[in-house]
Amino acid sequence: MSAGRLALWLYGGAIVAFLCLPIAIVAAVSFGPSVIVHFPPAGFSWRWYANYVGSGPWLAATWLSVELGIAVAAAATALGTFAAIAIVRGQFLGRRAVEFLLISPMVAPTIVLALGLYLLLAPWKLVGTPIALFLAHTLVAMPIVVVIAGAALKRTDASMELAARSLGAGFWRTLWYVTLPTIRPALVSSAAFAFLTSFDEVVLAIFLGGPGAATLPKRMWEGIKNELDPTLTAVSTILVVVSLAALAVVELSRRGERSRQA
Amino acid sequence: MDAAPDLNSGGTGGGGGSAPAASPWRPRPDWLVAFALVFFAVVYAYPLVRLVAWSFWAPGFTFRNFAQIVAEPAYLQAFYNTVEIAGIATAVCLALGYPLAYLMATTDPRPRMILGALILIPFWTSVLVRTLAWVVLLGRNGIINQALLAWGLVERPIPLVFNNIGVQIGMVHVLLPFMVLPLYAVMARIDPSLVTAARSLGASPARAFLAVFAPLSLPGVVAGASLVFLMALGFYVTPALLGGPNEITVATLIEIMVRDLLDWGSGAALGLLLLAGVASVFAAGAVYAGAGRLVGAERA
Repeated sequence: MSAGRLALWLYGGAIVAFLCLPIAIVAAVSFGPSVIVHFPPAGFSWRWYANYVGSGPWLAATWLSVELGIAVAAAATALGTFAAIAIVRGQFLGRRAVEFLLISPMVAPTIVLALGLYLLLAPWKLVGTPIALFLAHTLVAMPIVVVIAGAALKRTDASMELAARSLGAGFWRTLWYVTLPTIRPALVSSAAFAFLTSFDEVVLAIFLGGPGAATLPKRMWEGIKNELDPTLTAVSTILVVVSLAALAVVELSRRGERSRQA
Repeated sequence: MDAAPDLNSGGTGGGGGSAPAASPWRPRPDWLVAFALVFFAVVYAYPLVRLVAWSFWAPGFTFRNFAQIVAEPAYLQAFYNTVEIAGIATAVCLALGYPLAYLMATTDPRPRMILGALILIPFWTSVLVRTLAWVVLLGRNGIINQALLAWGLVERPIPLVFNNIGVQIGMVHVLLPFMVLPLYAVMARIDPSLVTAARSLGASPARAFLAVFAPLSLPGVVAGASLVFLMALGFYVTPALLGGPNEITVATLIEIMVRDLLDWGSGAALGLLLLAGVASVFAAGAVYAGAGRLVGAERA
């Protein structure tokens, strides 16, 4: 390896460490016994996890986030996949404009979306309810589905669907038995990413959640702003594990696709 | 990482153009998009219309909300802070991200996969977790100050967080993957034999890189830089948690307006200006690098 190449690896390794180490350190600190965080921790203890499991508000927030994440994953995957099928397989005018519209919430500032959604939902007395968060999170989770499902549809051949139709299968039958199974790994990835988007989302949760719908990130936000209790490091570690699990689901479904194609 | 939507490919249902003129779906699946469009009309378009209405109506059509923003130095300072923080974050992300993306694009498949995973894991980790990490590391009694004190490098804890340094570190940490992923997507498609050809024709490694590789990677630079810059403009969590009173950005100012001052007119006007700023950065990046590069590589 040349000296330049070695320097490049050292530089790249340092940057990757900068990205990953802070997260690893929070996870390590969460197993420490003391109220003041030390690194390396002065001992091993489940104290902060016991605190989390024994706390009604933390558990209620966790269940709300899980339920919300599942509902958002289902709604965003259904809406987004239907839209992607229409955009990729359909022939209507302005398909590119529609695709752009459906992907645009990905780059719009979340705080602006939060303001607009507040103005929509306040007259309906929905602010502070899980319904508000369901609608808001579905909006920001759908673009990922449109991107992933759309890319998968572009890779697959529409002639299979035409064959099914010409053999007498109806519209829905073709959709259910041909189109959706061919892009199944993309649907699994879409649902996992949509779940994670909702599960980790904080700005919409603090603006639209209120005390009536406190998700896990909303409670964490309040914790970081106010008391900074070490229980937060335990909750953080749990969030990291959830992210890793979602990424593992995505990776496994992609491998499944590759091995089937091979 | 090839989730980039190809916004140019037509979906004629023919399968790559070489297929025979098969009859398209009948009925065609066009109408399946209606569900998403109805949902977007209610939850996306209508709220933005309401926002426009609030910013220009007080009561009766007026530019008062915008005039107030221009007249108030504290508001203008927030715009200045926002652009400064976003600009520095973009420059730092480029300096850190370009070599990392280059390394990924030019290494063997296995180390590339490991590097990719080590970028994607933080990318998909909650922003709150990563922000808390910096509070724990950089705080007054944080791990870095503990170490500096223990080694006798400083006399008393140095302020690393709740100021500009904290915000910049936190922003770069959150946004760096948004730079690396589009850069890598472009660099991975550069034919390595072009650099080899330049070398065999007598160019030095530096010359081959500057004259061949760097220009070809420019669309990735533009896509990554505009993506990071526009994300940074609208970012709320990091400035709100890691910043101090001098790091008020447009996003945190909107929150103050709406929650503390209950001034929805000014809040809506600020939101609209922020949206316009983000949209112009996106448009500029998309014109040069293609909209697909900006949104597709984002979620690999």
